This record gives sequence, structure tokens and C-alpha cells, in this order.
Amino acid sequence: MTIRTRLTLWFAGVLTVSLLVMSSGTFLEIAEQLRHAHRQSPAARAARETSEMILEAGLPAVVLGLLGGWWLMRRALSPVARLTRAMEQIHERNLAEPLPRSGNGDEIDRLTEVFNSLTVRLDASFQRIHEFTLHASHELKTPLTILRGELETALRDGPADAALKHRLASQLDEIERLAKIVDGLTLLARADAGQVELQMEPVRLDELVRECVADATILAHPQAVAVRLEACAETTVQGDRHRLRQLLLNLADNAVKYNQPGGRIQVSLVQEGAEARLEMTNTGPGLAPALQTRVFERFFRGDTSHNHAVEGCGLGLSIAQWIVRAHRGEIRFVSQPGQLTTVTVRLPVATN
Amino acid sequence: MRVLVVEDEIKTASLVRHALEAEGFLVSVCPRGDDALTAAVAGTFDGIVLDIMLPGRDGLSLLRELRAQGHATPVLLLSARGKVDERIAGLNAGAADYLPKPFVLAELVARVRALGRRAEAPATELRVADLTLDTIFHRAQRGGKVFDLTAREFRLLEYLMRCSGQICGRMSIIEQVWDYDFDPGTNLVDVYVRRLREKIDDGFEPKLLQTVRGAGYVLKAAP
Repeated sequence: MTIRTRLTLWFAGVLTVSLLVMSSGTFLEIAEQLRHAHRQSPAARAARETSEMILEAGLPAVVLGLLGGWWLMRRALSPVARLTRAMEQIHERNLAEPLPRSGNGDEIDRLTEVFNSLTVRLDASFQRIHEFTLHASHELKTPLTILRGELETALRDGPADAALKHRLASQLDEIERLAKIVDGLTLLARADAGQVELQMEPVRLDELVRECVADATILAHPQAVAVRLEACAETTVQGDRHRLRQLLLNLADNAVKYNQPGGRIQVSLVQEGAEARLEMTNTGPGLAPALQTRVFERFFRGDTSHNHAVEGCGLGLSIAQWIVRAHRGEIRFVSQPGQLTTVTVRLPVATN
Repeated sequence: MRVLVVEDEIKTASLVRHALEAEGFLVSVCPRGDDALTAAVAGTFDGIVLDIMLPGRDGLSLLRELRAQGHATPVLLLSARGKVDERIAGLNAGAADYLPKPFVLAELVARVRALGRRAEAPATELRVADLTLDTIFHRAQRGGKVFDLTAREFRLLEYLMRCSGQICGRMSIIEQVWDYDFDPGTNLVDVYVRRLREKIDDGFEPKLLQTVRGAGYVLKAAP
């Protein structure tokens, strides 16, 4: 049944009920009037009776009509509200899951059907993009292997010309960088396709943090950046040891790279209820709030006029975000230009 | 040392062959998985470099078949794929080592050489020129000077000394010293090596710890 038919039928129902209430009110009124017909003057009686009728039959009918109308609209619109709530839950990763349909063939049901086929098509194109990235990153590996091998061989054979040797070595460095980007892309493409399996086990996060701080201290040394471990509570999370180390190292590397010479990095790990909270703060130049939501995007570089000298593959924070999400945690980046920049990671602690 | 290289990509195969031959290995190349199995079973190879994606028969199934037939020849797996965790799948199938593409040739050579060394018991006292390292007492010294090394620096020095004379690629160092199974994408190794070099080479002659551009590091006595 279409919404138009349904609404018409319901409205007819509401009107009938109102009419019944009104006519019964009128009937009672007229009956009473006939009993007292002899007492008052006709004009005064007519005025009184009219106002009584309005009060006793008309008003309830209006109120009933209002309530009925409200109920009608609510009933008519409730599938729309349900649909809105269902649509709000849609994101990139559950596109293929269809919205529930009422199956009664009305306009909303048809709309849901069309919307479902739209998301299925969208999901298919997302899938194709992911597959493309996955294949592209694999296909790039063979030529990269050959290129790297050829250059290595050329360098090993020892060209007589020092300038040529320098150029070859510089090419090798760039291939190294390209290989890192391809590696990062492969990892993210595999993660998108759900092909990375995490080896979950109870992991002492505080031990990994101490280890990471030791590495960060060494990494930060050339820029005279001081690393301090403010707090390190004993915390065990359920996670993949290698991925968690990769996460910590990516965050530390970022804090070093985007810091200023002589700056500071503060690290703290605390347990709050069922959550482990890791904070890494650095004294870098910061990032405008408008750009902050984009730091986890692939190849996002911040304010390019400041950071073009920073080396790296541009995928570190994307990989960090993936790792945190795969551990059902949350990562946030908060920064003010000229003030401290803090990355906060929350992970659920392991339950025994 | 005789090595069988199973790789269908002609250019990669030829690069690997030349790199290994330059280091004195005897190399046979086979581009097909099924032919390679016959060759591996019939021949007397000391090591096999095996690509995973092959025509005829894929590398993992070849490796399983080889082990099922009772051949224990050590195998280094190469792979550009990585759909499932091939590293784990490969090691479970009986591979001795795994190297993802794109690899550094010097790294490949070092790992093939390591295939032949697997059976030896590790020494507890290492020596390169006048630099010595004792893994039991956790002590490293040169010319009478005992170094103050962090645990990580000690492991790095131990690894470089165990492979002395051979190039150690960044990825091998990351795996052996940090126990990471990923490339951290940072210059962590370079920074550590620089610090280690300051400790063991500053004020001493000859310089032992050298950088091989694009390949890695080598610790050796003769220049």
C-alpha cells in the first residue's frame, strides 16, 4: 500500500472518530434543550446553547483532530526516521551491508531499495580502488628490485668517475625511498582489504613504551631534542607486539621530525579504568586546527611551505591510525600553531 | 657453495646470478617451479633461493613437497606478494629465511651465505682486528679500552661482528637487532650505527665500521 493511500485511510478514520464525538455531543445537548424548552426566552437560550455546544462538542473534536493529526504524521514519518538512523551508521567499511527494508512496497521501501543498490555500487568502486592500490604496489616491486639490483651492481663494479659514482648512489637513495613508500602503501592496501592478520596476545605496553623512548632518544639526539618519559604505568593490552612497536616508533619518529632543534618530547602512559592512555607531546611548530583532521590522510604533509625538508614516506600517521583502529582503540591529534602538539592513543586494556 | 636460484623474472634472475657468482657461489638458475623441484631433488645444492610466484608450481608448494620427500636443503624465500602472511607461511613450510622484494642484492648475498652457516654453533668470543666482544660477560673492548654500550648497541655490534667482512643490510639489522618484522621507515639503524662508530672507531686506526652506500654496513679489519 502506498503512503498516499495509507494516509488517506488514516485521516478518514480520524475524521470519523471526530464526527462521532461531535454528533454525540450535539445529540445530548439537543435532548437536554428539549427537556428545558419552556423556561427561558428564545434569544438568550439560543446564545447559551450555541456556546455550550462549541465548548462541549466542538472543542473535544478539535483536540481529537489535533491529536489524531499528530499521531498520523508520526506514523507516516516513522519509517523515514528509522531510515535516517540506519543511514547515520553507514561508513566506508560497511557499505555492502543493506539497510533493513519494510517489504510493504511503499515509497520509503522503494527509496531504501534504491539507496541499497547505490551503496552496493559505491562499495564496488571502493573495492576496485583498494584492489588497484594493492595490485599497483605489488606490480611496482619487480621493476624496483631490478632497478635497485642494476644500480647496486653498477656501483659495486666501481665506476672510475667519482661524479658518476655519486649520481648512481644518489639514485639508489631515491629508489630506497620509493621502496619505502611502496612498502607502506602495500601494508595499507592489505589492511583495507582485510588481509593483514594481527597476532593477538597479551602485551606489556609499558615495556614497549620504554623501549620506544630509548630509540626515540637516539633518533632525537642529532637535533638536540630531549625526550622525557613522564609516566609509565604497568599496563597490559591485548595486541600484536610488532604492530604496537611499529605504532610507537611511527609516533616517535613523527615527534622527532616535526620538532624544532633543541625542542622537547614528552611521553606518558597511564591506565584509566579499562583504558590505556598514551600521550606523546612535542614542541614542533604545530598545525592549524583546520588541517588537523587531515593528519591521518595518506601522504598528508601539513603546511608544505614549512615541511618540505622533512624526509619520510608520508604514510606514518595513516599506518599508526590503522594499527590503533585494528586494536579497537582511538587516536587523536591536537595542536595549536606555536604551542604543543599532542598525539593521544587510547587502547582497551587486556581483561583476564 | 652451490646455489639453485628459482626465479621466472629473467632480469631479476640474472642479477641474482651475477651477484652470487661475483661472491664465488656456483649458481644454477631455473625459471619454472616444476622443473626446479626435479633439479632440487636430483642435484646437490647447498642452498636454494626460491621465488614464491612461479609458473608450473608455486614456491610454497614446491618447498612443502621438497620437505615431504625428506630433503633438508636450506631455502631462502623471495616474494613480492604478501597476500596472506607469507613470511609466516613460508617459515612454517620449512624455509630458513624470507626476503621481501624489492631487496638489496648485498642483503640477498649475505643471507644466502648465512644459509650455509646455519649448522655451526655460535661463538661466544668474537674478534675483528683488535676489537673483541665477549657475549657471556657482555663486554666489548678495543686496545685495552672497555666500551660502555647500551643493550641495543651491544646487540648491533655483536651482529656486525658475527657477519664481519660481509655487508649487513638495514633490513637484516632491523630484524636481528630490533626484532622488528617491518621496515620502520626511519633512519634508526643509521643513527645507531653512527653512535656505535663514534664509540668503537673514534681515536682508533684502522676504522672498522664502514658504510656501503645503498646496501648497508660492514665491519671488517682490512680496508
